[in-house]
Amino acid sequence: LRVASEHVFLPVRQLGQLVRDRHVSPVELAETFLDRLESLGPEYNAVVTVTRDRAMRQARNAEREILSDQYRGPLHGIPFGAKDLLATSEGIPTTWGAIPYRDQTFDYDATVLQKLEESGAVLTAKLAMVELAGGMGYRQPNASITGPGINPWNKDAWSGGSSSGSGSSVAAGLVPFAIGSETFGSILSPAGNCGVAGLRPTYGRVSRYGAMALSWTLDKLGPLCLTADDCGLVLNTIAGYDPNDPSTTKRPYQYDASDLPGQRFRLGVIKGVADGADEEVQANFRESLRVLEQVASIDEVEMLEGFPSGEVTRTILNAEAASAFEDFLETGRASELTAPEDRYGGYARMSLLATDYIRALRLRGLMAREADRVMSRYDVLVAPSRATVASALDEEFRSVAGGGAPDVMGAVGNGAGLPAISVPNGFGARGLPTGIQFMGRVYEENRVLAVARAYQSLTDWHQRHPPEAMPKN
Amino acid sequence: VSTAEERVRTLLDLVRERYGSGLSPEEVEHVRTGVERLVEAADAMRLVPLNNSDEPLATFVPHRAREV
Repeated sequence: LRVASEHVFLPVRQLGQLVRDRHVSPVELAETFLDRLESLGPEYNAVVTVTRDRAMRQARNAEREILSDQYRGPLHGIPFGAKDLLATSEGIPTTWGAIPYRDQTFDYDATVLQKLEESGAVLTAKLAMVELAGGMGYRQPNASITGPGINPWNKDAWSGGSSSGSGSSVAAGLVPFAIGSETFGSILSPAGNCGVAGLRPTYGRVSRYGAMALSWTLDKLGPLCLTADDCGLVLNTIAGYDPNDPSTTKRPYQYDASDLPGQRFRLGVIKGVADGADEEVQANFRESLRVLEQVASIDEVEMLEGFPSGEVTRTILNAEAASAFEDFLETGRASELTAPEDRYGGYARMSLLATDYIRALRLRGLMAREADRVMSRYDVLVAPSRATVASALDEEFRSVAGGGAPDVMGAVGNGAGLPAISVPNGFGARGLPTGIQFMGRVYEENRVLAVARAYQSLTDWHQRHPPEAMPKN
Repeated sequence: VSTAEERVRTLLDLVRERYGSGLSPEEVEHVRTGVERLVEAADAMRLVPLNNSDEPLATFVPHRAREV
């Protein structure tokens, strides 16, 4: 029942087998990751609260159950972290990454945390995030109660937003998996920046109950892990209908990890999707496509060319965020936020016209139907996860919500609620990871995961870890 | 139809009227940039023709509490 240093970067699937076979103790596993969260977490500004007491109680329960042959499944006894916008009971703060909410507590757990607890997983930390999930239009990494998220691959670079701690904690081996949220890029961005796998499920696949609302019709919760396969294992646990979240689907989800021998995929690449990306991002993307040709046919496709997909998704986000935080803005509490631009960024949206919001919702219908029509011919669309590697900590960027560079995959994917995954596909400037994303039709997470697994079976980028974060024996 | 600049001015006046006391002149200028972006996005969306039958992609479900 010993935990060795090599266990720190094991995928959840392998770690789960070791726990099931009683080669690794859930209690020692929890202690190992708790120690790493406490010692290394601050180096990456990755952690808001280490939930040691709760973790040790859950780990002891898991150990007792497993030793008495009551094994619950692959997450039983596995530590994880949750983005700090998920409600937690027991007096554990839920800060939403923002100073005005630093003492906020809830008397219940978010549905995803309840489901993970039922699966036997062990909550070890509430993880850092951009304040209010970036909903006030931040334009720089230093926009969080915990300071700028620091990238484990290069400490002068950002870990991404808004699920910063979820990305960096998995990359640095502080937790085997984490839960993040995405409204417009907040899972895929930190996954790409930190070189880990991040899955954005179909809208409505995972209950948002207990999660901070930024945009009711755009918010999604999903896992960040070392591998695509692990993302499937976690999704299998957290997906499902929840009467507390009327947007959740009653369609059942069962992760299918089977890889058929000789299976070939049909991939589409939107014309010009990598144009304007960093040179290394483009080179790594081309090389990834070359690798994927071993298992797939690849076509260039045209989709929604000239359609204002970015404007549609951004208008929906702006209108819903303005309403979600209307009281916050009215009372002037935005002035307490960390990033100066977040202190006034929300006010412009208070002038957004209802007719413009409704127009965006009507155009969303056209966008979703056209995207589905094009995508019905393919298993997935493929693109670079991000156009650049992670920005420098002192560098200002233009956020998606504020009108950054065109991101068709992000705009259509989030606006139409499509599932997508980012997995690492190489390194670019300053030794930072780059990523490739696979996006599928609504409810096609298994197909998305199958393509990502096939890619990871042909590459080893996911097996590389930041040297500074490697455990020292 | 008013120009984009006129609409920006009108909408900014609305923000200034409601929240101006808590914003510095410099912050109001940043808000102006934000309003300009909203107006640009709205104008881009208006270029796409919509039919009367193009409904919002949002479903309203009448609510009735579950009976015990």
